[in-house]
Amino acid sequence: MNRIEVLRYIASLRNGDPMIISPGLANYTIAEERDEPLTIYNMDMPYATPMALGMALGWPERRIISVEGDGSLLAGPGVLTTVARYQPQNLAIFVFDNGAYLTTGSGEAPTATAFGTDIEQLGRAAGMKNTKTVDTFDSAKTAVKRAFTEPGPWLIVAKVDKQDRPSQRTRYPLPMYVYEAGIKFHRAASQEKTAKR
Amino acid sequence: MARRAESKTSHSTLVNTGQAGVRYRQEALESFYDGFKAAGIDFAVFLPDSMLDGIEQLIIERGGIDTYQCSREDEGVAMAMGAFLVGKRPVALMEGSGIGLSALILARGIVQKTPTMLIVGHNSTLGERYDYHGATRLVAEPVLRALNIPYHVLFDPSEIRTVIVEAQEAIEGQRIPVGVLVPSHVIRKFGDDQ
Repeated sequence: MNRIEVLRYIASLRNGDPMIISPGLANYTIAEERDEPLTIYNMDMPYATPMALGMALGWPERRIISVEGDGSLLAGPGVLTTVARYQPQNLAIFVFDNGAYLTTGSGEAPTATAFGTDIEQLGRAAGMKNTKTVDTFDSAKTAVKRAFTEPGPWLIVAKVDKQDRPSQRTRYPLPMYVYEAGIKFHRAASQEKTAKR
Repeated sequence: MARRAESKTSHSTLVNTGQAGVRYRQEALESFYDGFKAAGIDFAVFLPDSMLDGIEQLIIERGGIDTYQCSREDEGVAMAMGAFLVGKRPVALMEGSGIGLSALILARGIVQKTPTMLIVGHNSTLGERYDYHGATRLVAEPVLRALNIPYHVLFDPSEIRTVIVEAQEAIEGQRIPVGVLVPSHVIRKFGDDQ
């Protein structure tokens, strides 16, 4: 399964939902599909899901999306226990598991999932109930749609290939610098909350 | 949905002995809570530690601040920053060793203009009587200094409320994290063990 097609499907359902993306090629696909003001790109690993968890707990009216790689989630899997502890229904974690640190260096250094580590089972063992591993686009679409329409927290692990690695050479600049990301996000969230009062 | 840390302690037990048998200064605990409320703090995250346990249990007991436990301090700092991004006024409470774990996420928060208040047990100089806190006292202030994060080491319980309120002013005005360090004598009965 190709990562880009799943990311495009996520982007099509997102409808402005706040999203944090861990380092890697997923950032460019999301930005290319549809940049949204409530986006934090290239979050240092392993902090995409912890920061998304804080958002989910602090803004329960909004669905919060964390986009992870296998490498970034494995750098801080303890957060799954905190997600399970508080069970924020508005949090969806999508993990793109290609079994490698694809963005770095040669892109060939394997992660632990290449040797049998099962990220969905980490989530289950942590206490998460709504988990799914998918390895076809059709099954990915079903799982992603449920994560966007049914209460979570969700942990969707998409087993993807490495064929989008060449796109790294043709990527374009992301639509915002990290330096401005917090200001833009905070302002957009504040404006939305103010408008709904 | 569970919205607060689960642990519940009776107030009288809390202020007299804490959960670890430590005797806290009740007026100091109250000043922290009053300061948080006066500063508009509405989101707290902590990893349990012996120094700050009295504060953590008090804010759970009193309510009015959504309070959560994390599995590591750097995870908690990231949670607090996420809460800030969606309009909350967060505080992250931790032992000084947690600052050592949090250097990268604190740096990210500075670069990204996503702050949080930090309440930190242990400091470089005052009251660090145990060898097993050697590493803790060695990382907290140096990491804050290395990242140019302003911090204040409390000395007198009477300054707690003002320091917290003014720290929050700087956090919001400057979009920077600010640390408040808590030596043992400020929060515990002088001469107590632990």
